[in-house]
Amino acid sequence: MIERLVHWSRVKSPWVLHLNTGACNACDIEILAALMPRFDLERFGILLKGTPRHADVIICTGPITRQNRDRVVRIYEQVPDPKFVVAVGACAMSGCVYRGAYNTCGSIDQVLPVNAYIPGCPIRPDALIDGVVKLLNSLK
Amino acid sequence: MNPETIVEKISSDIKDKVQEVSLAAPRRVQVKVAREHLNVVLAYLKKQFGYVHLGTISGVDLGDHFEVIYHMSDAVATVNVRILTPRSDPRIPSVCAVIPGAILYERELQDMFGLVVENIPDPRPLLLADDWPAGEYPLRKDWVFDRPAEVIPGGK
Amino acid sequence: MEFKVALGPQHPALHEPISIRMTLDGEVIRDADLKLGYNHRGIEKLAESRSYIQNLYLTERICGICSFSHQTCYTQGVEKLMELVPAKRGLYIRTLVCELERVHSHLLWLGVAGQEAGFESFFMYTWRDREVVMDILDWISGNRVHYSMNTFGGVRRDIDELQKKKILDSLGLLRQRTDYYLNLAASEPTFVGRLAGVGKLSREKAIALCAVGPTLRASGVPMDVRKDDPYAVYDEIPFEVSTADSCDVLGRAVVRVKELIQSYNIIEFLLKNLPAGPVKVKAPRKVKENEVYSRYEAPRGENVHYIKSNGSDKPERLKVRAPTLANYPATIEMLKSGFIADIPLIFAAIDPCICCAERLVQLDNARSGESNILTFSQLRAMANERDKKINFKKKEIAWPF
Repeated sequence: MIERLVHWSRVKSPWVLHLNTGACNACDIEILAALMPRFDLERFGILLKGTPRHADVIICTGPITRQNRDRVVRIYEQVPDPKFVVAVGACAMSGCVYRGAYNTCGSIDQVLPVNAYIPGCPIRPDALIDGVVKLLNSLK
Repeated sequence: MNPETIVEKISSDIKDKVQEVSLAAPRRVQVKVAREHLNVVLAYLKKQFGYVHLGTISGVDLGDHFEVIYHMSDAVATVNVRILTPRSDPRIPSVCAVIPGAILYERELQDMFGLVVENIPDPRPLLLADDWPAGEYPLRKDWVFDRPAEVIPGGK
Repeated sequence: MEFKVALGPQHPALHEPISIRMTLDGEVIRDADLKLGYNHRGIEKLAESRSYIQNLYLTERICGICSFSHQTCYTQGVEKLMELVPAKRGLYIRTLVCELERVHSHLLWLGVAGQEAGFESFFMYTWRDREVVMDILDWISGNRVHYSMNTFGGVRRDIDELQKKKILDSLGLLRQRTDYYLNLAASEPTFVGRLAGVGKLSREKAIALCAVGPTLRASGVPMDVRKDDPYAVYDEIPFEVSTADSCDVLGRAVVRVKELIQSYNIIEFLLKNLPAGPVKVKAPRKVKENEVYSRYEAPRGENVHYIKSNGSDKPERLKVRAPTLANYPATIEMLKSGFIADIPLIFAAIDPCICCAERLVQLDNARSGESNILTFSQLRAMANERDKKINFKKKEIAWPF
């Protein structure tokens, strides 16, 4: 019973941690723009939190740089279960233009297990809303 | 004051320190000096023409030499002061006494090319990761990176 | 007693991974240290193995907010290498997109400054108005960010009469809103009081540390690449360089709002005097051996690209120096003798684009040599505890206001 309640609140109002692993910042500005009055993610119950310990969903941008790799894994372990990782942008999916660079890992799924991919360079805020809604629907 | 006057004054005042000076493009003056005279030439530019703004310091790998270019900018012209340093002895003098804002650019040169900047106030590495192996200088032409094969999760 | 604190790399106040190491004495910062490298992607090495046209798309993605700055600086440089004179109409459209990018970047910054000063509704208002500019850019170029309008010899797309009319109408709306923000920011005593006196940087220090952009212009130095070394069509457009004399964060905000107003005038001039003709000319594939130093006034300051060619269709060396890197020594200077609570404000005042500068900041512990990573709420709680225990001798610490 409690479990159903918890599951319902998790699906209806996921709390999100925004993690930038070395990106060019365009996807991050578009994620913030998704919270602004034009697109307004907060009406879906999605709240942007600053700390990993309060989050359900990690939204990750950027190809993981070498310096950032251990820290990203540490933050992933700090997020309590069950957790979901959303890889946002072409950099997070395959490295985009930085493929082959000496300091990047290629894509996020080399380091973390990813549940959803949102393509675009940078993503449109509408695509972010679409992706998060699809992820939540798959949880039901 | 226009770029031609700057070229004339440099070639007359400090002719013994400067190897060549020319006007390469509108508002771009090229000056070539030996590395021992670098600080003297920059101090002269600062005192005579008021060049205090350093744009950046570029390093180029030319094979058996490294070329280091100091770009000084002003409303009149940009003066590019270049020095050559041999690959077998990659040392250059620090210019932080004349231009305090050059510190980060010199640290980057040390990281990327393996140049040794003498008398640098702060010799720590700037850009490369903490676990970067020593002795690997990414921007040298002979340094090649082999990308490791990727693991596709759930696939072949 | 000295105490060192680490802020970053992942922190809610900072949009990008940066790590600042600060040595504290109570709540006053004695020394600060930046650690860079979390955002280093090795772009200069990548550029050497790609052709000039492929590098157009690589330089665009150095930064997301000032993407057109990097692409234009690179394109200008390569056009000089190729000895190519671009089409006049193409240059006008290029300058138009440059100024539109400046408008969107400054509106973004105003929102971020409002957020750091605690003024959340200001943040929401400015970002809502920024959407007007994003829609225009979307219509002209096809993408909200990373427009890719540049090509060697001009621009890729043309604008028609309907788009021109829409931009001029939106300018009227933006002008009205900016006047409202100017009155609001100037007359709201808590906002002004929060920003005044914070992050002081004297004129001599700003020049000696080679600061650029609004950080330099707020200390009274009228250095602007658009006037000193004009590129594109800036030598034909009448505009003024905006400066302020207060050398603090409030001065930087005032400089950016003045630049917004200048940008609106420039956009209007460009649209009214747009010449007819083709938007691009044909460019050669291979570039002969030469080198070029290209400068550009990005919203954050002077952006510099040094390109060297070797006769093939790939560059020999591409060196990029973004404005935020040049402002770092000045930031360290500003952080000294400031308060911990002012850190986000000081850092936001230089308009950090960490991805441009590929840097990080770290906090170090002075006394015991160990480093702690604390969250901001822990820091604040710790600071409040300290407040209760220690008697601040007011004459030792310089109160900002």
